Amino acid sequence: MSDIFPKWTNQLPGKVLIGAVMVGTAVTAGLWYYFTPKYTRVGYQPVQPVSFSHSIHVEQLGLDCRYCHNAVEKSWYSNIPTASTCMNCHNQVLATDPRLALVRESAQTGKPIPWVQIHKTPDYVYFNHSVHVNRGVSCVECHGQINKMDEVYHAKPLSMAFCLDCHRNPGERLRPPDKITDLNWKWSDDPKSAAQLQKTRGEEFVRDWNVRASQNCSSCHR
Amino acid sequence: MKTIPPPCPEPEAGPKYWRSMDQLADTPEFRQWLEREFPQGASELADPVTRRHFVKIMSASFLLAGVGLTGCRRPEEKILPFAKMPDNYVHGVSQFYATAMPTRNSAIPLVVQSDDGRPTKIEGNPQHPDSNGGTDQFAQASILNLYDPDRAIRFTGNGSTKRREEALDFLTSLSTQARANGGQRLAFLLERSSSPSRARLQRLVSERLPQAQWFVYEPVDFDIHRQAATAAFGKSVAPYFKLDEANVIVSLDCDFIGTEENSYINCRRFARRRNPEKSAGQPMSRLYAVEGLLTLTGANADHRLRIPSSAAQGFAARLASAILAQKGGGAELQGGVTKLSAALAGQDAWIAECAKDLLSADNAGKSLVLAGHRQPLAVHTLAYAINAALGNIGTTVVLHEVPESKEGNISQLAQALNGSQIDTLVILGGNPVYNAPADLAWAQAQAKAKSVVRLGYYEDESFPANGWHLPMAHYLESWGDARTADGTVVPVQPLIEPLFGGMTELEVLSRIGGLEKTSPYDVVRETYRGLGSDGEENWKKFLHDGFLAGSAAAPASVQLNGNACAAALNAAPAPQLPSRDRLEVVFHRSHSVDDGRFNNNGWLQETADPVTKLTWDNAILISPETARELGVGEYDEERRGNKVRKGLFKNQIVELELSGRKIRGPIWLQPGLAKDTVGLALGYGREKTGRIGRLDTGQPAGFNAYKLRASTADGFAVGGKITPTSETYQLANTQEHGSMEGRPIIREATKKQYDEHPEFAKNMDLSSPAHMAHIPKDETGNPKMIYPRPVYNGTHQWGMSIDLNACVGCTACMLACQSENNVPIVGKDQVTKGREMTWLRLDRYFAGSVDDPQVAYQPMLCQHCENAPCESVCPVNATVHDEEGLNLMVYNRCVGTRYCSNNCPYKVRRFNYFDYSRRPRNALYRDPFTARTDGEWELKRWFKQPERGSIPDDEWELLKLVRNPQVSVRMRGVMEKCTFCIQRIEEAKITQKVKAGPSGDVRVPDGTIKTACQQACPAEAIVFGDVSDPNSKVSQLKKQARDYAVLGFLDTRPRLTYLARVRNPNPAMPDAYKENPGTLDEYIKDGNTSPLESHAHGTVVGPGAGHGAQPATQHKAEKGAH
Repeated sequence: MSDIFPKWTNQLPGKVLIGAVMVGTAVTAGLWYYFTPKYTRVGYQPVQPVSFSHSIHVEQLGLDCRYCHNAVEKSWYSNIPTASTCMNCHNQVLATDPRLALVRESAQTGKPIPWVQIHKTPDYVYFNHSVHVNRGVSCVECHGQINKMDEVYHAKPLSMAFCLDCHRNPGERLRPPDKITDLNWKWSDDPKSAAQLQKTRGEEFVRDWNVRASQNCSSCHR
Repeated sequence: MKTIPPPCPEPEAGPKYWRSMDQLADTPEFRQWLEREFPQGASELADPVTRRHFVKIMSASFLLAGVGLTGCRRPEEKILPFAKMPDNYVHGVSQFYATAMPTRNSAIPLVVQSDDGRPTKIEGNPQHPDSNGGTDQFAQASILNLYDPDRAIRFTGNGSTKRREEALDFLTSLSTQARANGGQRLAFLLERSSSPSRARLQRLVSERLPQAQWFVYEPVDFDIHRQAATAAFGKSVAPYFKLDEANVIVSLDCDFIGTEENSYINCRRFARRRNPEKSAGQPMSRLYAVEGLLTLTGANADHRLRIPSSAAQGFAARLASAILAQKGGGAELQGGVTKLSAALAGQDAWIAECAKDLLSADNAGKSLVLAGHRQPLAVHTLAYAINAALGNIGTTVVLHEVPESKEGNISQLAQALNGSQIDTLVILGGNPVYNAPADLAWAQAQAKAKSVVRLGYYEDESFPANGWHLPMAHYLESWGDARTADGTVVPVQPLIEPLFGGMTELEVLSRIGGLEKTSPYDVVRETYRGLGSDGEENWKKFLHDGFLAGSAAAPASVQLNGNACAAALNAAPAPQLPSRDRLEVVFHRSHSVDDGRFNNNGWLQETADPVTKLTWDNAILISPETARELGVGEYDEERRGNKVRKGLFKNQIVELELSGRKIRGPIWLQPGLAKDTVGLALGYGREKTGRIGRLDTGQPAGFNAYKLRASTADGFAVGGKITPTSETYQLANTQEHGSMEGRPIIREATKKQYDEHPEFAKNMDLSSPAHMAHIPKDETGNPKMIYPRPVYNGTHQWGMSIDLNACVGCTACMLACQSENNVPIVGKDQVTKGREMTWLRLDRYFAGSVDDPQVAYQPMLCQHCENAPCESVCPVNATVHDEEGLNLMVYNRCVGTRYCSNNCPYKVRRFNYFDYSRRPRNALYRDPFTARTDGEWELKRWFKQPERGSIPDDEWELLKLVRNPQVSVRMRGVMEKCTFCIQRIEEAKITQKVKAGPSGDVRVPDGTIKTACQQACPAEAIVFGDVSDPNSKVSQLKKQARDYAVLGFLDTRPRLTYLARVRNPNPAMPDAYKENPGTLDEYIKDGNTSPLESHAHGTVVGPGAGHGAQPATQHKAEKGAH
């Protein structure tokens, strides 16, 4: 009797198996590595309806973060400013500039400006801004150098690992409470002494302020 | 609100992506890289390794460019800020407003939490002079009624939808007409109300429409208290009961803990005197209850006499006789007393000893006899006579003056209607077609009016086909006012604009009366002006505080009018006693749906009635003894419950006939009922109700007991006859077993036993050395832990203590937890499978004889064990322990193994077998390929809107609003359980840290955090706090001798411990259990050593077990009570 199957099918199951394992490993490794928030979130820079530039308003003009994001010290939610906040200045500055048309329309009619949300944690994560801002964590730690951004992009991964990195060692990230919104601030210009000061002063803060950055699930997941 | 919006299409100016810091920095090197097709040196890559590596990396990046960066990112979401910031509003910070819930002739003062401009949680107002912040179960659940999709949302005229303006025009024309003829042939049918504004409007409108007739009808009416007091004392007064001033309380069929008015006040005052240690120098009180049905008051009584309700007048008469014989006086009452005494034969010793207790010198002026609202006037009169003789008037029962009630009753109105005397009938609230007395044939009577104007919350049975229906506003959307039981005026302040343009009673009355000021705000403001101390600042304070300081009614000085009392007694009809062929039918207010007004409230329908543990239905309650005699139903003696077949209650349907009217319903055998008594809960069986009141099958939940209820006998009637049928009906009951079977889950002793052996509760269960000797111990003397445990070094250590003496079983805590934590309801079918989702359940156990049982309640919730059996078995580590002692549940990690629930010895973990929050309850089992919504495959619909769920739109839009934004809503496949309100704990910790700022003052002061159940409990039975602080309230309670842990021998070391129950029986009474309480008897009979024998109890296991407040691991070796 002649062979039903050609010879090469002898090795087929083995090849399929090995191939599947290789592909599976590659896909898993790829997902594991590239689909972490470090890759999928960092760099997200959507186009906003109004081309607001933080670098102009903060670096050049010197506005404090809390002038617009005024609820950050009271609430879990750091608010996007209302159109009336913008109009505080822009009813005189660039009062007829077409780039601010949406803002003027919003202040006039009450129609909200549809800002695209960049920083968002999943629904099962309950993050609270006020407790971080009031306890020595600067905006720059999680949001990056927003003061230098023309268009805001997602600078840090904001994954659970990122949060835990700080919570496991809060002394490395704390700074004097009045320097929270000074995003260019450093302990010192010399990096070596800056690192040294961060370590010593950070430990001091953790001790004095009774900082218990909880690593338990209850601090974020309810 | 955190929801994920549907995936948005890509905007034309697409999102910019950059793949490296170089690109962002836009360095010249990168420019070069970009512009050249191949980077410098790429063609020179001869080395196969580097070349291969390069190609691999580049191809991976290009792959991601197409796949990862656009498709795998979360959908684009928008933030929509305000254009102008509203005053006093910060998104994410809740606001609280004081208001009140009007309840018939009283009100409950409330503070309501508002998130994003809508009310989300109701709590009591602790600043109110007559409240400790507790509420009852109806107040907690009433918020769900606000967001009820079945409520009336439109104006209708003659059955067709009209616009609001047309309705208002009609009211104006009605008003003009009425004023022209002085209100002739116009009648108003109102509900009972304590509102000073409504009273003022009634007066004003009466002046303008002098011929108009006014009637008040409440199906469950507590006005008898005022009527009886007025008759007995000769002026218009109403009683206020100060149960905490009484050493001895006698309840004559008065369920003051459960279904009487102001139960939240009664629970608080009663529980205050149930502390076996002297509380504020007062000894523990004693409660005697005389009743026909088993009620919460009877469950908490130290002595209970089980007699039919119609015999209660006999008891009252004989008690009066005994008291007056001693105290003298009351000769004019003798005739009536003798006549009524015939209602009760026997029980001489019971009555004599009870009277002796009342008469004892220690209790002079410190006793209280209460009559229930179902009892006839004679019984109330006798109660007042006894109270007066004992000197209680002014101490335990305070009378204060109230305006006279001049309205007619519904029988008179029916007469007027049938006599064609009424052209226009205005019904404000209420549902008379459903709940009017059956002998009035109200539906036909109402139709005799030429036109009916009805203000109703639902388009229900009383929806007028010949007239107008106006949608009523919920009290959370209305301006109004009320008086609480002590007379203090409270505002009813809206938290949200009427969702559907509803109107209030005040507005309709003012419009019909043609008053200039018709807006309810103006009406209330005007009333406030008349109360004295007006002014904008005072008005704001009134609204802010939630009450008007100093407006409590002053006690009236009264004298008992002996002749009036005698007249009342003589006028009373001769008592009729039930027998097997003439059963006594008692119509009682349902603990779940009230008189039917909460019939469409899912939370209340699913909360088990504390006595029967039935959900979603009512039943015909009879005692096992009577059932045996009649040959109906089956009782399982061993389990102390109705017979169960394969875990299901399929009870026999019987027909009950009373005075020629018949109803059908399932029988339920309830221990504790008197012989020949039938209990019917009102409020069920509604024909025209919403999707909750009609079960998922479409049939009304329960049967309508109002069909048997006549105006002459609205409390109870004798003459019922039961005929069994061969059909059965499935009932959903949450507790099959009624017996603890000798296990010391609830531990109780009598006061005498407690005085001699205060630590009796610690001497029960298996914690003696003989059982524990073989287990290796650590340095604290506790068994060595098998698994590594988390270190308890948190700033606080949370724990809770529940006082079983204070817990009366009112279920307010269950509703509060459901409201606070977004706990879903599952529907009747799932409850029969035991899948009810309440995190906190109220276990009820019977002990003693089957027919005359003792009842004990215990709230059971997650014990937050330090050595939690659930944590070590979770394969994905979804349930872990906090450094502050909490057992946490991480929903996003849970895969639904259910091993944790399997291992939990308390069975407090609830599993979401289905997506209860987003699937309709009658479509839970359908899969994505067979389920269809509007003809569309469920799977397809899901792709379009993953978060939406398949609940109908109107229900979805409203139910979204009732959810608490601080707590996750759980999906199918996730385990959930009590978290000790972690959201409240975290909020308090965060607030404290924000306040501390750069300082170390991060400890939350004791009393700041109140769990939802603690806050709602009017009896203050639940106390939560920091056990590492020896001065906190919870630490003090855990130090008490009565403290014990349930199932402590399992070494779970729960942070929640209970304070054992102490009953206070009178040793001279002839009751059976004066030796040991029932559960203690069962425990000893089961073969255990009595805890009252002074044996060395050895090492006691458990954190709170007499070792002070430290959790086990931080505990230093102490001698303790060995």
